[in-house]
Amino acid sequence: MMLKRFLRSRGMRKLRRNRMAMVASAVIGLYALVALFALFGGVSLDDTKRRVWRENTPGFLQPMSKEIADYTLDWHADKWLRPKMEAARRASDERSRQFSFDTAALGQRTLADLPGDELIALWDEAAGIYDEWRELQDTADEANEELEFFRIDLDAERAKDAPDQDMIEELEGEIEYYEGQLEQAARAPELAADLRAKLLELHPVPTGVPGMVYRAKLWFGTDSKGASIIIKGLYATKIAFQIGFVTAVGAVLIGTLLGAAAGFFGRFVDEAVMWIVSTLSSIPYLVLLAVLVVMFRGSIFDNEARPALALVPLYAAFGMTFWVGTCRVIRGEVMKIKELEYVQAATAIGFARPYIVLRHVVPNTVHLMFINFSLLFIAAIKGEVILSFLGLGVKGQPSWGIMIAHSKDQVSSGFFWEILTATALMFGLVLAFNILSDALQDAFDPKHVS
Amino acid sequence: MSKTNSGEPVLKVRHLTTRFRTDRGVVTAVDDVSFDVYPGETVGIVGESGCGKTVTSKSIMRLLPEQVTIIDEKSEIMFEGENIARLSEKRMREVRGDRIAMIFQEPMTSLNPVFRIGWQLDEALRYHTKLGRKQRRERAIEMLKLVDIPNPEKRIDEYPHQLSGGMRQRVMIAMALCCEPDVLIADEPTTALDVTIQAQILSLMNSLKEKLQTAIMLITHDLGVVAQVCDRVVVMYAGRVIESGPVADIFRRPQHPYTQALLDSIPKQGNKERGLRLATIPGIVPSLWDLPHGCRFQDRCKFKEQRCVDGEPVLEDGPDGRPVRCHFPLDEARHPQHLAGRHAEGA
Repeated sequence: MMLKRFLRSRGMRKLRRNRMAMVASAVIGLYALVALFALFGGVSLDDTKRRVWRENTPGFLQPMSKEIADYTLDWHADKWLRPKMEAARRASDERSRQFSFDTAALGQRTLADLPGDELIALWDEAAGIYDEWRELQDTADEANEELEFFRIDLDAERAKDAPDQDMIEELEGEIEYYEGQLEQAARAPELAADLRAKLLELHPVPTGVPGMVYRAKLWFGTDSKGASIIIKGLYATKIAFQIGFVTAVGAVLIGTLLGAAAGFFGRFVDEAVMWIVSTLSSIPYLVLLAVLVVMFRGSIFDNEARPALALVPLYAAFGMTFWVGTCRVIRGEVMKIKELEYVQAATAIGFARPYIVLRHVVPNTVHLMFINFSLLFIAAIKGEVILSFLGLGVKGQPSWGIMIAHSKDQVSSGFFWEILTATALMFGLVLAFNILSDALQDAFDPKHVS
Repeated sequence: MSKTNSGEPVLKVRHLTTRFRTDRGVVTAVDDVSFDVYPGETVGIVGESGCGKTVTSKSIMRLLPEQVTIIDEKSEIMFEGENIARLSEKRMREVRGDRIAMIFQEPMTSLNPVFRIGWQLDEALRYHTKLGRKQRRERAIEMLKLVDIPNPEKRIDEYPHQLSGGMRQRVMIAMALCCEPDVLIADEPTTALDVTIQAQILSLMNSLKEKLQTAIMLITHDLGVVAQVCDRVVVMYAGRVIESGPVADIFRRPQHPYTQALLDSIPKQGNKERGLRLATIPGIVPSLWDLPHGCRFQDRCKFKEQRCVDGEPVLEDGPDGRPVRCHFPLDEARHPQHLAGRHAEGA
């Protein structure tokens, strides 16, 4: 009943006319869908930790240089598949061999659906190509190095006043030899393509939906453990929403109840509430949060194995500090409302004062509750990111703050995908919420009515 | 009006004294006010702004902020054989709304903007009666019909902002009357309304009084309203009752110079043609912190003498046989009509 009236109210109509606000709501809706999707198991905690490709793979926007492509191929054949396949070869029974094959999976990408012997045969071919390719590469590297030195020596020799003809001939002979070697090594890209094809046969990218999922996981690259960054980012969206929602609901509820009580009953209730409010607001909130989180250290809430419990200190810290602003705003509004005649009329009908506060006064502050909810929601997310960055927040599961903290070392070596994903997701959500709460304020704050 | 003074009064106010604690010290807003309200009659409480009319009504309903209000020990508000000035808050809640109801000046803010009027009517019934949900809704529609709201079945599901000021005041009256109270306190119910709507509301209140036998205590500064609906009048000035009596007597033979001056300041047809200006009362109401010694009206009274400064008059029967608080009450010799002329010439 109240919701219907709310949706038809003037403020709501004004909000609907605000195109920016509608776009922002759509963006927030999208985030909420992702969060719900993650909440109901679409993205599990295990997914965020599972290796999907080699570590620090760049995302789709960055073109693969030859070096990176070669390194990736090298990693795939040598570092990843070789130990698994060799273990399978050595396996004493079928079960442990199958287990070795299973461990070769990278997310959705498993070994080809072939009998074990054929897989090993395929691997042997691939390993053969790999060894040849590797050798050629080594030869090429060596040739390049030697050629450089010999050419320098040759130039030096020729520049002499009395060049030694024998020496020059010898050097020229060496250079010729190594140039021949390099020519042979020019075959390396062909071999690499062969190897890539062979590995794709052995370890194919799945087709259909699993293939799309697999490729999507690589869109924003992988982190330092080879896990998908986008999956971590999406899971962190759920964490952010969870913390934002729980703390905003809690803080708005506490703030509204205490603020309404303080504003309506006045006297010692007001004194007591305002004392707490001014005390809490005189402490910089991040410091207080850090202290609270440190206080919880070593308790059952500080356990990486139970990530859900690890959020409790955050809830407590945010809940304790964030209600202050809401409380002050609601108190002021209630002080105004309680002088209105409908409150006196309610008293004249004979209702008890607590009933009047809850049924007549608080419903008239709903617009403030909405605005405060959107402000606190975003404040909680920002606070969570900051605390997680400092290592005081989320534990045992991904969070934007942890992702940013992770990127500290990577960024200096030119890998920016993790910090980019985390900040882009956060930027989108914070911006959308700021636009929405601005629009809410425009639409519902009586001081903005035009 | 024939019912006047018949039987026992339903509400008996005696020596009501209300003080407020303020930053500038304790101030007495209502000083020793006594009057009776009989069943089925309308008592008007008349006076300028700040004379204590509203404080009187809110003292009876105990709607004043507890922290700053002191209702004097000797005050008695006898209702149904009990002194409700001394009732516990819990018992008082049973009286409020059920036995004594109140309507307010500002119909625009007297209804809660976020609830349907049906809900607000229902709420009072739910609290004070044992009716079932369906019966309550029927009763609410019946009440809306009683206060002449057209199409009540539809209106009951509307929000206050969908109603006009007059409609809202009707809803307020319906809410106040839905538990059939013995006394209805109306605090300037028509002040915020158009004159035509005022007339409708007043005649509605009159007819409801006849139908429901509810005593009405009407607080107003509008003597026109008093003339139209009241049976008896209590005139207040600076927190004190200065004169009271049946409405016809007050209007025809006012005894207190203030009452006379109030009557004179009603605009009369034809005065403009005769070149007369509207009579006013010179000066302002004395500040409650700084009351003059003696009669509180002395500074504005044209009959002021030394005795008025020396001591405050007591409320006693004047020449007309009605109580008046004046050392020199007006009598036949100083006839209102003469005075009206003199006032006008003087101004």
